[in-house]
Amino acid sequence: MIDSKEASAALADIDDIVQRVKQSQLYELASLAALWWGVLVFAGNVVTWLWPFYAVYAWPAVDILGVGGLVAIRLLSPPHVPGAAFDIRLVLVFVLFFAFGYICTNVLGHFGPRELGAFWPIYFMLFYTLGGLWFGYAFVAIGIGIIALTLIGFFTIGAAFPLWMAFVNGGGLILGGLWMRRI
Amino acid sequence: MAELDDIIHQPLRLKIMAALNALPVATGLEFARLKKLTGATDGNLGAHIETLAKAGYVSVDKAFVGKKPQTTVTATAAGRGAFARHVATLQEIIAGKQV
Repeated sequence: MIDSKEASAALADIDDIVQRVKQSQLYELASLAALWWGVLVFAGNVVTWLWPFYAVYAWPAVDILGVGGLVAIRLLSPPHVPGAAFDIRLVLVFVLFFAFGYICTNVLGHFGPRELGAFWPIYFMLFYTLGGLWFGYAFVAIGIGIIALTLIGFFTIGAAFPLWMAFVNGGGLILGGLWMRRI
Repeated sequence: MAELDDIIHQPLRLKIMAALNALPVATGLEFARLKKLTGATDGNLGAHIETLAKAGYVSVDKAFVGKKPQTTVTATAAGRGAFARHVATLQEIIAGKQV
């Protein structure tokens, strides 16, 4: 028979591994979302760089496909995966997110294409980073990395800024998504 | 007085059973993921899974995904029951109900 100290240690090991399983399932789900958004954002930025005129159509399409993809990922995920069940609050979060972003960029301020190209990734990644404080360090690392590279590009890259953002934001999310599958 | 389960009590086997029990019934974990979660080596993990399988606590399914072999380990009903009893015994020890 073991003593209470050893029993406590065994229960702590069990708690630790259960947390790791939950974290691993969450990262798997989040990695799918990051890969999906990464591909869309990459495409949106490439369109903006090559055919700026069509950016006004490309970005709403990216947003609609992106949110639709997130809803699909949640609905298609096994119900035991943390955060997998559909929750109407998720839709509300996106409505508030986009509404606040719109008010900032079009009502309080009048952002040009370059400012919009920097604002939305920073705004999105800010929430990503904040969420990471609760859900896992990988979100924080990816969020801060993309915000930092976006700011560097905003202040130093010229006309090729959308191309920079294709690789930094789109590529960053794709790489981040692949990384989350490995940790 | 409940006894600790000697098969489950070994530290790596305890981790394996805890990880599998964190999943819904009949849901398994791939060998590679289990290895990452427990921090065990291939050989060590394989040997302990075999011990658990012999006791009827886990089932092991081998399949090919494309050309890659994939081993999935799942806790059986007997394994889940044994794990629950083991955890209950640990809690009793902490509560001082067992000496």
